Amino acid sequence: MSISDDDEREALDARLRALGAGLTVPAPPPADVARAVRARLEGERARPDRRVHGWWAGRRPTPRALAASVAVLMAVLLGATPQGRAAVVSVLRFAGVEIRVAGPGPLPTGVPGPLPGERRVTLEEARRTARFPIAVPTALGDPADVRLADGGRVVTLLWPGVRLDEFDGTLGVVWRKELGEPFPEQVAAVGGWWIQQPHGVSYVPYGGGAPHEERAAGPTLIWQHNLVGLRLEGPDRDEAVRIASSVR
Amino acid sequence: MDDDEAVTRALAGDLDAYEVLVTRYSAVAHRTAHLLGAAAEAEDVVQEAFVKAFRHLKGFRRGSPFRPWLLRIVANETHDLTRSRGRRSDLAVRLGREREPYGPEDPQSVAVAADGRSRLLEAVRALPQGEREAVVCRYFLQLSEAETAEVLGVRLGTVKSRTFRALRRLREEVGREHLG
Repeated sequence: MSISDDDEREALDARLRALGAGLTVPAPPPADVARAVRARLEGERARPDRRVHGWWAGRRPTPRALAASVAVLMAVLLGATPQGRAAVVSVLRFAGVEIRVAGPGPLPTGVPGPLPGERRVTLEEARRTARFPIAVPTALGDPADVRLADGGRVVTLLWPGVRLDEFDGTLGVVWRKELGEPFPEQVAAVGGWWIQQPHGVSYVPYGGGAPHEERAAGPTLIWQHNLVGLRLEGPDRDEAVRIASSVR
Repeated sequence: MDDDEAVTRALAGDLDAYEVLVTRYSAVAHRTAHLLGAAAEAEDVVQEAFVKAFRHLKGFRRGSPFRPWLLRIVANETHDLTRSRGRRSDLAVRLGREREPYGPEDPQSVAVAADGRSRLLEAVRALPQGEREAVVCRYFLQLSEAETAEVLGVRLGTVKSRTFRALRRLREEVGREHLG
């Protein structure tokens, strides 16, 4: 094989171009970007002496500003959508999951990777090793695959099209989720929350440290069974609630 | 309104005109930031880059193309970000619709997805940073050699030699896979 072969070079050129053309990169609508940039430039004009990196930068909040931010936060909680890329984020912490609802951002594009120390185990081994009792939904039967990760902190049960993460949901944050409106829906039947829209999810390793790379997650149900936090990804809402109700 | 006119008006403080430029180059700016390693933070990087570009518009050489000048600011912002995070700039992308955007990772489907494209992407990802960025600019962003030099802030000869070395490495990788 001749490395300097022109044909080979051309073939590689073509393959690289085709590869580039197939790479999908998320981007917000250009008009939104233009509006956001304009808002920042106008803000700088109003305060020409200060380089402002955000609405909070370099300002000691006055009582009036504080009252205003509380009002904005309330507006977010009441479901009003602030225009543009709002700096205000509403946060919901529940069963080891932190859900941050802010302006719509691009979905993460990180290729899903394994969790820290993730390995394939049998259900029995997972039961012996995990730091919490593993719950299995009878609606699905035995999982097709079982993964144990981060020293037994997370157990993932897999069925075709269904992923169920179980974790100690009593201490600290295990998963972080970033999403745009709407705010997750409360599901009374299982005492949990339903996230309909695709969103970013990242794993927060035990003992702190940088969150594991973010990936895109689909519709997810989050609930707690005794002391175990659970996130179920894949099925639609009704099916997810049915599966969650069958957990023993 | 062409770029030159938009720049002229923007220099006079016309934010409408600058909005035209932002709208026009938003997509390629996001693609550049993303492929050079900004990943999930591409949106912040691009916004910051457009704000800085406006501030430094006086330094733009009139009559020269606006796109590479802007993309250089995007590339610099991206480098600052990856440096400040103490991480290696990486090519954080996924291939088209090869995988479901969510759902459990079925080892079998992953194996199927590991076709030539993803192997080539892995090989690009594994290149030394300078060579990888040259490949990203030349092939993934479809920039000319001169534009690539401007965006990456290196000499034209450097772009040529980095591209050459990268292609040689990639050919070796691809060649090995064919034999294996």
